[in-house]
Amino acid sequence: MIGHTVTFAVSLLLLAPFVAGWFSLLIPGSRWLHVTNLTSIGTLVGAEMVITRAVFAQGSVTAFDDIIYIDALSSVILFIIGTVGLACSLYMRSYMDEQVGRGVIASKRLNLFFFLFHMFLFAMVLATVANSLGVQWVAIEATTLATTFLIAFWRRRESLEAGWKYLILCSVGISLALFGVVLMYYSSLRVLGDVSSALNITQLQQVAAQLDPHIVKLAFIFLFVGYGTKVGLVPMHSWLPDAYTEAPAPVAAMLAGVLETVAVYAILRCRGIADQAVSPDFTGGLLALFGLISFALAALFILLQHNYKRLFAYSSIEHMGLAMVGFGVGGTIGNFGGLFHLVNHAFAKSLAFFAAGNIHRRFKTVEIDQVRGLTTVLPWTAVALLISGLALAALPPFALFASEMQIVTALASSGLPHEWTRPATTFPVVLLLLCSVVAFAGFLYRITGMVWGPAPMDIVHGEQWSVGHIPIMLLGIVLVAFSLALPASLRQLFEAASTLLTR
Amino acid sequence: MSWLTPHIGTQIVDFGSAMLLLTCFAIVAQRRLSACVDLFALQSLFLAMTAALVAFLTDTPHIYIAAALTVVVKVIVIPRVLKGVIERLNVTRELVMKVNVPASLLICGALVMIAFFITQPIIPFGHLLTRDSLAIALAIVLIGFFTMISRQKAVTQLIAFLMMENGLFLGATAATYGMPLIVELGVFFDVLVAALIAGIYTNRLQDAFDSVDTTRLSELKE
Repeated sequence: MIGHTVTFAVSLLLLAPFVAGWFSLLIPGSRWLHVTNLTSIGTLVGAEMVITRAVFAQGSVTAFDDIIYIDALSSVILFIIGTVGLACSLYMRSYMDEQVGRGVIASKRLNLFFFLFHMFLFAMVLATVANSLGVQWVAIEATTLATTFLIAFWRRRESLEAGWKYLILCSVGISLALFGVVLMYYSSLRVLGDVSSALNITQLQQVAAQLDPHIVKLAFIFLFVGYGTKVGLVPMHSWLPDAYTEAPAPVAAMLAGVLETVAVYAILRCRGIADQAVSPDFTGGLLALFGLISFALAALFILLQHNYKRLFAYSSIEHMGLAMVGFGVGGTIGNFGGLFHLVNHAFAKSLAFFAAGNIHRRFKTVEIDQVRGLTTVLPWTAVALLISGLALAALPPFALFASEMQIVTALASSGLPHEWTRPATTFPVVLLLLCSVVAFAGFLYRITGMVWGPAPMDIVHGEQWSVGHIPIMLLGIVLVAFSLALPASLRQLFEAASTLLTR
Repeated sequence: MSWLTPHIGTQIVDFGSAMLLLTCFAIVAQRRLSACVDLFALQSLFLAMTAALVAFLTDTPHIYIAAALTVVVKVIVIPRVLKGVIERLNVTRELVMKVNVPASLLICGALVMIAFFITQPIIPFGHLLTRDSLAIALAIVLIGFFTMISRQKAVTQLIAFLMMENGLFLGATAATYGMPLIVELGVFFDVLVAALIAGIYTNRLQDAFDSVDTTRLSELKE
């Protein structure tokens, strides 16, 4: 009986965004578009809950003849997709309608927007639940294709440029990942014989220890570089600040909060297989090293930013780098810290981009220096920006501080993994702490400058309540609440997922 | 067919892969955009023939499907779209190059050596029929990567991307006698959509910047 319910939930999970996407092309009028959108996201979240419960009961769920595979790790990612997706949908209700009302876009183009948005969601869900590494690759490339026009949606010169850059860089990066998938298949065929299920995660996990280490090593390097481009790890990050600046606010929130997380998930999946064939120090070292470089460089770049959206973009690179360090170092603390960091970052960053969207609409500028006195101009947004800013700067009561501390602790106790030499401990920890102080100071300095100070006189003061404020409120409350206590069920889920990673 | 011994089969597959690599060099050396498109179509044709040969020699019917899709998508549809784009944009030549043609060719030669060097340890594990094609496939991917960085016209960058895809397809055919069919179909879908999207982009870039020279895309500098 449970089997049927789960199969039904899985099909809803995939069908809801897919059907809603095509449906969106047909409906006239923004009202019904938003209704469709919210229905589809609501269905998605409901289906996720059913699936997560089944995962708790059985450990993992497979459906449709092993095409779908969901375990605790995928459930965490689905949780992030659902929550941030729901928040974005609510926010879009006021954001997109205002853009139509102001005549920035024709109301017909809303259909296209929602179509692409749903295809984006569908591709991400598929990448998370796919059992085959090949299907996962196809889905992640599909996210690139769906989002490139979302990034270039305003059709200004800068946005076209950002969209083109994103399309080319990510497609090329992802092509390298495909070579990695081919090599992975090559190695597994030698063990499993010529079967089409040889790319399935369930199959690979069983035979992972017998795979040839040379091939798996090469495959993992290609996969890591490819999906790392999508995560935005330095030095493959150059598309990211442009894309986040030019994309409409809800899209930027989805890119920063969810897409990066899905790409990290793809890397973790491949790592789980590679680790059994080659020494975990090899994959861990690669992850931690690139994570540390991204973290350090992004922290320095944060100091140089004069544009608040770019500031948030570099902070994304920074936090993803930190999570990578956590996963790379591994162990129970490192993996839990990394996962928890992903979740917190997704919430805080989407809140930050919602606030940025509100500020941009009112001030008509992305320059930090020209935004002053948010407390009088947009009081609610000011609170949201402050909460997300403090959380992203990893100030103590917030959960991002807790996860950052877990990662630092893990790094300090086991050191940067390395295949040939003794793990280095002191230098990475010092570098990490130093850069986090730099990022903390730079970030807070910029944010506080925007929140306080005398407001410019030529701008309308006061903020009207709208639907778009509901997700801002909720995300703010969740961020504060997570810093005090994590709900038992979520903690259990994260722990189950980090055990899977540690194994 | 008694004359088609495995040995001769290997020779023919190697020959096909070498032709793919040769067209890569021709694309790198070619400045005229429409000739680049023709060369890409030719390369895809070689790819389809090599794949079909592998399918015939190893008796794996699903590679025939992939080969047929290659002909439809990469020999017919995408080159037509690209020709249309070139005609509309009224650009015919790659004028300024970051790296000139002789230097590019030398670099590509070095990339081929690197590809053989990287794949050296894993080649002996491969099927006898196609083991050398894996190195050639990686070489094509790397050359595509390099062309993407060193050329400036959006159309050339797109061709370089498609060249990388060809290399990947050759790699998949050589190393594993083709990916599972569902993956193969998904990849074809993605490549087709990517090419169409890039085509739309070049039109919009032309409208917005009055140029498809991607060096003009520098408004988003720090």
